[in-house]
Amino acid sequence: MNLPHYNYLTSDFQAYEFYSEGPKGQIKKVVTFSRIRDYPPTYNLTLVDVNPISGLTSDLAISDNGDRDIILATVAYTVKDFSAHYGNHYIYAEGSTPVRTRLYQMSIAGLLEEISIDFDVYGVIEDIAYPFQKNVNYDAFLVKRK
Amino acid sequence: MPAIKKAKSNISYGGGAIVSSDVKSYANDPVIVKKNEEAGIAVSKLTLPGTKKQ
Repeated sequence: MNLPHYNYLTSDFQAYEFYSEGPKGQIKKVVTFSRIRDYPPTYNLTLVDVNPISGLTSDLAISDNGDRDIILATVAYTVKDFSAHYGNHYIYAEGSTPVRTRLYQMSIAGLLEEISIDFDVYGVIEDIAYPFQKNVNYDAFLVKRK
Repeated sequence: MPAIKKAKSNISYGGGAIVSSDVKSYANDPVIVKKNEEAGIAVSKLTLPGTKKQ
C-alpha cells in the first residue's frame, strides 16, 4: 500500500491523531480502536473530529475539506499500525449516518486495489459480512490485515 | 533575494505512526464510548466471513 496520507501521531497504537488540511483549514481528527468482542477478537474503529475550542469530539461534524480519500488512506495506515501491534484481528467500521457510510463505501471502492494489497475487506449487509464488491451498498465494513 | 521558507509537509507515503506522548487516551470519551456500545451490539449479531448464519 502506497497511498498519500497525513502524518499521524499515537502514544499507544490504539488512538491516533492527525490534521485534515483543505479549504476549511486544519481539522483535528482522531481514530480509535476499541475491543468490542472477544471471540473472534473484533475491534471497533471510530473516526471523530475534535473541536479546536472545546476539545470535544464529534462523529457528526461535516468537515467538507475536500480530502476524503487522503483521510481514508490515513485511516487505512492506522489500521496497519494497530494490527502490527495488537494482531491481525477483525476491525469493524460504520459511518455515523447512512450518508457517511455511503461516502466511506465510495472511498473504499476507489482505493480497493491498493487497500486489498494489505487487507481483506468485507461489506456488511443485514448482519452478514461479504467480500467487498464495488457498486454494492453496505451497512458497515469489516477489515482484517492479511 | 527574499528567503523562501519551505513549509513542512503534512502528507507522507508509506505509513508509520509518529510516537508522541502528547496523544491522550480517548478510552473514556463519551462519543467514542457510545459508538463502541452501538458497534458491540451490531457485531454481536454479525455473521463473519466463512461462517454460517446462525
